[in-house]
Amino acid sequence: MRRPATLRRMLAVARAEWRHNYRDARSLAIVIALPVFLLLIYGYGINLDLRDLPFAVQDLDRTEQSADFVNRLVRSGYFTLARAIQDTREIDSVIEVGAVRFVLVIPHGFGGDLASGRPAQVQVVLDGGDSATASVALGYLQALVGDHSIHLARRWAMRHGLPASAVEPALRVVPRVLYNPELRSVNFIVPGLIAVILTLLAALLTSGCIVREREGGSFEALAASPIAPIEIVLGKLLPYAVISFVDIVLCMVVGRLLFGVAPMGDKALLLGLSLIYLIASLSIGLLVSSLARSHQVATLIAFLATVLPSLLVSGFAFPVRSMPVALQAIAQIIPATHFLIIIRAIYLKGAGVSAFAPRVAALAAMALALVLLTVRTFRKRLE
Amino acid sequence: MHDLAIRTEDLTKSFGEIRALAGLDLEVARGEIFGLVGPDGAGKTTTMRLLSGLLRPDAGRAEVAGLDVVERTEDVRRLLGYLPQTFAMLHELTVAENIEYFADLYCIPRGQFAQRSDELLSATGLTEFTGRRADALSGGMGQKLALICSLIHRPQVLLLDEPTRGVDPVSRRDLWRIVYGLPAEDVTVLISTPYADEAERCNRLGVLVDGILQTVGTPQDLVARQTSRPIELQATEQRLARNALEKLGGVETVAVVGQALRITVRRDGPGPEEVLKALDGAGVEATEAHWAQPRLADALLAIAERCGKDG
Ligand SMILES: Nc1ncnc2c1ncn2[C@@H]1O[C@H](COP(=O)(O)OP(=O)(O)OP(=O)(O)O)[C@@H](O)[C@H]1O
Ligand SMILES: [Mg+2]
Repeated sequence: MRRPATLRRMLAVARAEWRHNYRDARSLAIVIALPVFLLLIYGYGINLDLRDLPFAVQDLDRTEQSADFVNRLVRSGYFTLARAIQDTREIDSVIEVGAVRFVLVIPHGFGGDLASGRPAQVQVVLDGGDSATASVALGYLQALVGDHSIHLARRWAMRHGLPASAVEPALRVVPRVLYNPELRSVNFIVPGLIAVILTLLAALLTSGCIVREREGGSFEALAASPIAPIEIVLGKLLPYAVISFVDIVLCMVVGRLLFGVAPMGDKALLLGLSLIYLIASLSIGLLVSSLARSHQVATLIAFLATVLPSLLVSGFAFPVRSMPVALQAIAQIIPATHFLIIIRAIYLKGAGVSAFAPRVAALAAMALALVLLTVRTFRKRLE
Repeated sequence: MHDLAIRTEDLTKSFGEIRALAGLDLEVARGEIFGLVGPDGAGKTTTMRLLSGLLRPDAGRAEVAGLDVVERTEDVRRLLGYLPQTFAMLHELTVAENIEYFADLYCIPRGQFAQRSDELLSATGLTEFTGRRADALSGGMGQKLALICSLIHRPQVLLLDEPTRGVDPVSRRDLWRIVYGLPAEDVTVLISTPYADEAERCNRLGVLVDGILQTVGTPQDLVARQTSRPIELQATEQRLARNALEKLGGVETVAVVGQALRITVRRDGPGPEEVLKALDGAGVEATEAHWAQPRLADALLAIAERCGKDG
């Protein structure tokens, strides 16, 4: 007798919540438009790929060799020659106003040194203000310089009647990039972004759903009825689990169509594990909603408790291993950290459960604990 | 079954410094329509919330149908119907969906549900509006829906917290017609109201002021216990007349009733002639002063005034 009653009350709450969302235009907009919108903005916005970086040249040498070298940089496609500098004093100012990201200074005698087989030097002045871009640019630049010097050495050898292999460097790094062979940053960003967007949605969706009823007055009638807290909690979770599940599918489709990023691994596995993550995230919102005094406060706290850590400490933007120990510990108790590892592994490596089983266990334990905590702290009272 | 539908003993509740309810002893018999009357902030809502387990008492105890509301909260809730003071329907749901929602919360068997729902809809005249959203209902229709939802599970005890506040006279009459029929269905009603004319329709009344139950009795008892007598008079400048009358010795309450002023005077206070004379002396024009029939409204006002003066 008890079980059907429980199910019926739970479904009554779920149905009412579903209807609320489905008839409230604002809720509907959040559910459908927001994830697509965010994915578009950030997918295009956060692009770590290096292309057409503007630079300036102060060519003090003015030889065929120096022009040849500059040409090589431009042809690579990574850099664009924005201007030529005559006066050394200009160097600081062009970088300061942001006109260029670095200045290449080619000293007197560059061409002469090369022609006579002596090592030649160039100077690079970089804008360290944006250190991420600076270090990526420097890396590319060094690679290009290395390439160019081998090219020059071969020419020199040939002109002196030596075999080209005589100048091959003894040791050469041949990079082989794993998991993201095209080195496209969207491949890395899109899965992370999907995780963050789901977190944001979960917080937005459930953080209002109980405090809204308190403010609106319907909580009083609900609480005075014989429904059990667990029936309310599960009834509220159910429709949002369905809605956010639709959202993850939506995000995956958009990622595929617009960014050409699709999971290499099992999609069904990813969806199943997403559901566990969603239950954990939705429960945090629900917990906050049942304790908060006002809708605004609830949304703010849920945002601070879920979205912020998922952006900052989960490994979305900075690798967890490079964070201070205290933050690393916090990262371990945030569901987003574990989900991020799972979703990236499935997207980029095509990994299976065995590759991240402990993460799945952690996520499931957290989801269960959060649901139980929400049920235990739920009070069918007005104080 | 128990003869007492509601029994409270020394029931006490404070919110910080505010004493909302101070040692309430109340007994409501089965099948009664019991009215809880009192001014704003008297503790009526607090009483209802304590009975439905929405608030925990600081002291004392309460029973509904013999069940302790703290120890057996959920059992009490099963046999209790509650219409809160603030509109508690789900705004985005239609009339029919709200009724179904409450039927599900109380697990009404499907077979009984349709019949019960139709019966209540036609009794309230809401049958044509089942497809309308709750937030699109007028005040009166909204309260009728709330009443349906509080009755859908055939409660033994029904708590109605100011169900007619802000409701048009026609809807008020409709609501009361349903409430009147409830004792015949073995439903006990505890209703709070700010209106004296509604209080008159209750079997018994409890007058609550500042968290203290001042008096309990039938409306007739309350009128009979009145020690002061009413006088009605006409005045062209009502405001001036009121001020003058409030300062007059022996006058207990002053109220505006339509075009007339209605005052109550103590046994040793002034009669109609003396009142007119006193007003004339104060330079206020007044006529047609005469003894009036004592009413419940006078009694309720007098009790509230007396408490106001004490506090
Ligand atoms: N949740 C609460 N927090 C703080 N004070 C409260 C709370 N609920 C009620 N009070 C205070 O307790 C007192 C009694 O309030 P209650 O709502 O029971 O009165 P009432 O008789 O229902 O009045 P009204 O006619 O205005 O509905 C009031 O002074 C009120 O301000
Ligand atoms: Mg009240």
